Amino acid sequence: MSTLISSVKIIDKKSKHHLKVRNVLIAKGKIEYIGTDSPKASNLINGKGCILSQGLCDLQATYADPGLEHKEDLISGSEAAMAGGFTDVVLLPNTQPVIQKKNDIKYLTKGNAGSLVQIHPLGAISVDIKGEALTDMLDLSEAGAIAFSDGLTPLWNADLLLKSLQYIKKIDGLIINRPEDKWLALFGVINEGENSALLGMKGIPALAEELAVARDIDILAYTNGRLHLSNISTEGAVKLIKQAKKKGLNISCDVAAHQLVFDDSSVLSFDANYKVSPPFRTESDRKALIKGLQDGTIDAIVSSHQPHDQECKQLEFDLADFGIIGQQTVLSLLHNVAEVIGWEQIIDKLTYDAREIIGLPSIAIKEGEIANLMLFNPKEEWEYNLGSNKSKSQNSPLMGQTLVGKVKAVFNNNKQLIF
Amino acid sequence: MTQLSQKHLLGIKDITEKDIQLIFDTADTFKEVINRPIKKVPSLRDITIANVFFENSTRTRLSFELAEKRLSADVINFSASSSSVKKGETLLDTVNNILAMKVDMVVMRHASPGAPHFLSRHINANIINAGDGTHEHPTQALLDTYSIYQKYGNVAGLKVAIIGDILHSRVAISNIFALKKLGAEVMVCGPNTLLPRYIQSLGVKVELDVFKALQWCDVANVLRIQLERQQIKYFPSLREYSLYYGINLAMLQKLDKEITIMHPGPINRGVELSSDVADSNHAIILDQVENGVATRMAVLYLLASQKQ
Repeated sequence: MSTLISSVKIIDKKSKHHLKVRNVLIAKGKIEYIGTDSPKASNLINGKGCILSQGLCDLQATYADPGLEHKEDLISGSEAAMAGGFTDVVLLPNTQPVIQKKNDIKYLTKGNAGSLVQIHPLGAISVDIKGEALTDMLDLSEAGAIAFSDGLTPLWNADLLLKSLQYIKKIDGLIINRPEDKWLALFGVINEGENSALLGMKGIPALAEELAVARDIDILAYTNGRLHLSNISTEGAVKLIKQAKKKGLNISCDVAAHQLVFDDSSVLSFDANYKVSPPFRTESDRKALIKGLQDGTIDAIVSSHQPHDQECKQLEFDLADFGIIGQQTVLSLLHNVAEVIGWEQIIDKLTYDAREIIGLPSIAIKEGEIANLMLFNPKEEWEYNLGSNKSKSQNSPLMGQTLVGKVKAVFNNNKQLIF
Repeated sequence: MTQLSQKHLLGIKDITEKDIQLIFDTADTFKEVINRPIKKVPSLRDITIANVFFENSTRTRLSFELAEKRLSADVINFSASSSSVKKGETLLDTVNNILAMKVDMVVMRHASPGAPHFLSRHINANIINAGDGTHEHPTQALLDTYSIYQKYGNVAGLKVAIIGDILHSRVAISNIFALKKLGAEVMVCGPNTLLPRYIQSLGVKVELDVFKALQWCDVANVLRIQLERQQIKYFPSLREYSLYYGINLAMLQKLDKEITIMHPGPINRGVELSSDVADSNHAIILDQVENGVATRMAVLYLLASQKQ
């Protein structure tokens, strides 16, 4: 079978066809032809007005599998990923049980050979994610753990962060941490600010993140390891990371797509679908995050996909769980951000830059290369509702809305899915 | 204007100055009613009201129940200790079960900020917020400002200091909104750890010295230390709190003016207020209780008449 995508704009900074409108032929899992001719194909897609890029890479998602498969399993999660344009997904280890043995890694990767979406598990840093004792990190790495993290749980124990950075140096491994000071964030549910004063809710101060970022940077300098900070949300954190990069430290960071769109005024309705961790911050933080993307301080955009059933979300705000789903809607969500910073930069942060952090190879769009691609129409409107939602969960603030920007097809591992 | 602008009373933030004035005017009528030999009127006959209390309450629940009965409503009471909440039922299920029994209004107290707002998106009955965690307690603010209004004849231009645990107080937030809407100047005073960091954004002054606050104000609304709502330590000890933030008669006598002392109750005697203040002529604490019934009757009546 072969597929010809006609008149499509290619976005791939390392391809000679970057920003050109081309016809692209894909056959047997490879890019057979790129040019202005129209070779014969069994399948035709009109790519007019669309963008063709590498398949997206999500550095941060949870699928609740194993343990809470009613929220999401590997199959439904992969479907949400494909509908969002992702072909590579890094899964956090916060499952039940925690991903901390080589069998756990094998369970998550066993389907990769036959799947369009490739799952890349993170191994836990600490046993049972308690922040006390290190897991068998070298063994986990050999089994396929792509990097190490306690995922949603910040590493509160400074010594454990230090030891893990030192220990993993043998294999030039990467530690990923969610920076948040446990004590300053304790019992907090929204950003500490004017809105927390207004709503009488316990706030999580920006200081909780910035103190942890500063601590992590100092520990990184001490160990000279490789550290990635995930889910940055404050202006101060962006500043600290920018300085650390200037000093030449081996540090990178990401931001959740929803942090680029929402601020803490969204919680005024007490809708738990706006309850995320870190919380939505102020408008000034949101702008600083976008600026951080533009100036290269923030390396990647992640979905921070976190499925929850209605029993965990249709609740009083303070009792509801943190987190929202978002893999399927990342590009639609960023529609307005793209008007400010352009699709090129957004796609970079979801492809080349994301893959570089975790050491996955990036394959440029050129003839003869493997087809790991995503086709996206930035102007197409679609209804995001229970019918079109691919996740098993529905905890998205976008549910029920008409979104702009739709993924039309994904290609990878000699497979294709056309929507 | 003879109608409230809102279907529910979720918070003072959502209502207008005119709404508050309408509630005051209506409360005047009901205050006269409850001082008659026959204290009952038939205004809410055929209206069924559920008092749904997920948190302990004595005076607010009694005050609401009395207000409802004086208006001839049918009243059912539900409290968490005798409920299925402990069996793991969700708020929505619990309330829907109650509503299936054809209830017209729900008076709810809940430990979670925004719980009545959450409920208002899912049910049809009128909802009165009787306190949602550390967010709002609108009827308390109405009765407090009504008590000030009764004593001074107006609220605009008065200086009101709210003293104590502001961080854990729904009374403080609702009072700030009500007082500001009515044109009063508001100050909050307490240990810095018990003041929300961004409280000034609500348009209030902040003072850490209780004597200076008393010197500034015409009315001091003294709040309870909410030990039950403090999940972590905010000050060293009750002893130290009472030494530095407690108000006693000697302090009031040092002032060059008479000020009014209010307290939403229950008082921790000897902690935030000494007995010689609580029982003095400065205090209008029991007037607040009486006005509580009248203002709640006003709110219930106005919401119910809107429904009819």
